[in-house]
Amino acid sequence: MSIRVRFFARFRELLGNEVIAEPSSPGTSLSGLVRQIAQKNKEGYAAIFDEKGAFREFVIVMRNAKRVDTSEADRVTVADGDEIAVFPPVAGG
Amino acid sequence: MISHARASIIPVAGRGSAMTLSERERERYKRQILLFGEEGQERLKAAHIFIAGAGGLGSPVSIYLAVAGVGTITIVDKDVVDQSNLNRQVLHADRDIGRKKVESAEEKLSAINPDIRVNAIEATIDKSNADRLVRGADGIVDAMDNFPTRYLLNELARKKGIPLFHGAIRGMHGQAMTILPGDFPCLACIFPRAPPAEVFPVVGTTPGIIGTIQANEVIKYLTGTGELLAGRLFLWDGIAARADEIAVERDPGCRVCSGTGPQKRKKEKP
Repeated sequence: MSIRVRFFARFRELLGNEVIAEPSSPGTSLSGLVRQIAQKNKEGYAAIFDEKGAFREFVIVMRNAKRVDTSEADRVTVADGDEIAVFPPVAGG
Repeated sequence: MISHARASIIPVAGRGSAMTLSERERERYKRQILLFGEEGQERLKAAHIFIAGAGGLGSPVSIYLAVAGVGTITIVDKDVVDQSNLNRQVLHADRDIGRKKVESAEEKLSAINPDIRVNAIEATIDKSNADRLVRGADGIVDAMDNFPTRYLLNELARKKGIPLFHGAIRGMHGQAMTILPGDFPCLACIFPRAPPAEVFPVVGTTPGIIGTIQANEVIKYLTGTGELLAGRLFLWDGIAARADEIAVERDPGCRVCSGTGPQKRKKEKP
């Protein structure tokens, strides 16, 4: 099973461009997978997740072109071939 | 990526029949008439584009739309030019410090192209005036620096059945998307919540790049050229010098566009 996870903007600076993830166990949740990848960089993890390990409110997570409600990402199971994108919106003009 | 039939979404720009070009205009736009034809140039001339903001994004957007010959440009801003704006807001010069941005914008844009009409309006765009300010426009360019106003413009564009050309920047990163009326994702489909407000870092080249992409989208939309960034979020990373795109679909639970179904452009009184 392989899943492509891409980071953008500030998250990319902290966590790199993309990871081809191979979850060790079937039934891995979307938030579990991103948490696992983000743990390689403390600052990167803290940018995406709060102290309780939940996605920060403004973080955008897309799975195969559809935005995932991050409050439900613990219940979303990733599947082979999934394309995940994680990024913060930028607001300046 | 969402495919779409362009012919059905490109309106005949402006109101009434397309305007004929003068000799002087034919000469001025000679090199782009090679691209769009005279009909395309007439569409640009007949068009009215509303630019929300005369700052970092609004500067390149308005300059490029002015030189391209967009016939009517309405530009709205509430601020005066501050010295700290000048690293990126290329519409304004050192001598403009303390002047209203819209005054400076009107002067520059009219000097750049005296053949177009510039309506420069000093105002804070809010619920009470947005509908009136945007009246008669064929499209809205989001050159704002905050999400609450962006959401307002997104709702208004949806209601009026006109496109919203979104752009935003931070540091050396930027994003752009063209939000078309009808069955396309809107701003709230992808960004349902505003990021925290901040004094954002920025170098002028970032809004230069994103604003130019927005202006390019406007020109393509009006002339019916190429493929738009509809359902595609363009992401620019100036640090890595990489551009990416993310396919975006409509959110069936979106608070703005769900349940509204495809909308057509509404006719307005000029």
